[in-house]
Amino acid sequence: MTVELTSTDLATLLKTKAGITVDPLDLDRPGATFEEFGVDSLGLLAVVGELENRHGLSMTSAESAQSSAEFLNAVNLSLKKGA
Amino acid sequence: MNGSGARRRAVITGIGVVAPNGVGTDDFWKATCQGASVLAPIDREGCEQYPLRVAGLVKGFDPAQFVEERVLVATDRFTHFAMAAAAMALDDAGPPVDEDDPFGIGVVTAAGSGGGEFGQRELQQLWSQGPHHVGPYQSIAWFYAASTGQISIRGDFKGPCGVVASDEPGGLDAVAHAAHDVARGTNAVVVGAAEAPIAPYSMVCQLGYRELSRVAEAEQAYLPFSERASGFAPAEGGAFFVLEDEATARNRGARIRAVVAGHAATFTGASRWPESREGLAHAMRGALAEAACAPEEVDVVFADALAVPEADRAEASALADVLGDHASRVPVTAPKAGTGRAYCGGSMLDAAAAALALEQGLVPPTPNVTGCAYDLDLVTGFARATAPRTALVLSRGLMGSNSALVLRLGSES
Repeated sequence: MTVELTSTDLATLLKTKAGITVDPLDLDRPGATFEEFGVDSLGLLAVVGELENRHGLSMTSAESAQSSAEFLNAVNLSLKKGA
Repeated sequence: MNGSGARRRAVITGIGVVAPNGVGTDDFWKATCQGASVLAPIDREGCEQYPLRVAGLVKGFDPAQFVEERVLVATDRFTHFAMAAAAMALDDAGPPVDEDDPFGIGVVTAAGSGGGEFGQRELQQLWSQGPHHVGPYQSIAWFYAASTGQISIRGDFKGPCGVVASDEPGGLDAVAHAAHDVARGTNAVVVGAAEAPIAPYSMVCQLGYRELSRVAEAEQAYLPFSERASGFAPAEGGAFFVLEDEATARNRGARIRAVVAGHAATFTGASRWPESREGLAHAMRGALAEAACAPEEVDVVFADALAVPEADRAEASALADVLGDHASRVPVTAPKAGTGRAYCGGSMLDAAAAALALEQGLVPPTPNVTGCAYDLDLVTGFARATAPRTALVLSRGLMGSNSALVLRLGSES
């Protein structure tokens, strides 16, 4: 069974790798963007880098995600493909 | 007073300090006037095993108090110090008149060793685990421009921004650079420097300096102008100013702390201490000329005070060359003997102490030193209430820069 990344996981990663504190519920809000939480491109790169190292997979598509939903889709697609 | 043709003068309206002897300008000044020494054996984790034993470390500084978390992960300690001191200076100055014009405020910092601790961590990742384990902040955290960048971004200061890398005198040179920005039309510039060179990689970089003191006892390690001088002790920390155009500052009712009256810089080569005599003298003459200041008008000298006999001798001689008979009468002091030399942060700490000395009428003493081996009136023991009106701040770099800055009392138009 493939491990799936959740909003809670993402919130934890944002905190530890990008120093951003955000509630997973706020991440899930329809229309919510990374920009409004102060997540910039480097912050996202830090999270992607951590996930890539953890799973030994490339996840370049996730780097350009504008929202949590987009990000989780891209990451979980990579995880499914790589499994 | 300033007609449209007259040069716009830069004045200091805000001061912020993060120093080994105090976090915050008030704590720093109080400790500096008391002349206490905070030089101590280096007790930072991972740093205890090197031949460099004594330094001035900043204590009781919580970066989270001054820097938000998302910036904390992307910055080194040297930027934490800088952001804290800059915030204090801005708070001290109060809102400049055109705070709604982002292009009206610039940022200039001096840098030296940069983000050594952060960089070391990422380099360790690189060589132990590979390039994919180097984080995305490495390039912006350790490079020389990090503090200018972060201060500018946080404050939305889009005016002229820059970084000066000229070794220890960088602080004085940054102030001059910022004063030039003011003269050319920018109304306010946040200027300063802070360094954090007490971390393993950064410490190893310093072990090659033959001017470094190897003495293990804190009170004996750094004794400028003394017969027992045997090198300097390094330190971390720094200071920031808000510089404003004088007319603009007066119009908004800002408190003028001091006037940036003159500056000059020369270069005489790495560790060439006998040659630094002429270099420092030339810088002093240039700064005094720009300030239209006669030698006998200098009321206090904040010395470079390297504590290497050749260098001390050169500095004392340079003072005599430029100030003549006045050199042996003017109070000379080196508060850094109690905190250590914080590289380019150190010259800013001296400039801050000089501005405060003018404002408070007090010349702080040179800690740990009791006698002076040169024909100078070195202030030791206690602060002196001499009400100085003009301060000369000197700084030399291990790599050869020599700079002089003249500050005048703020209340004099």
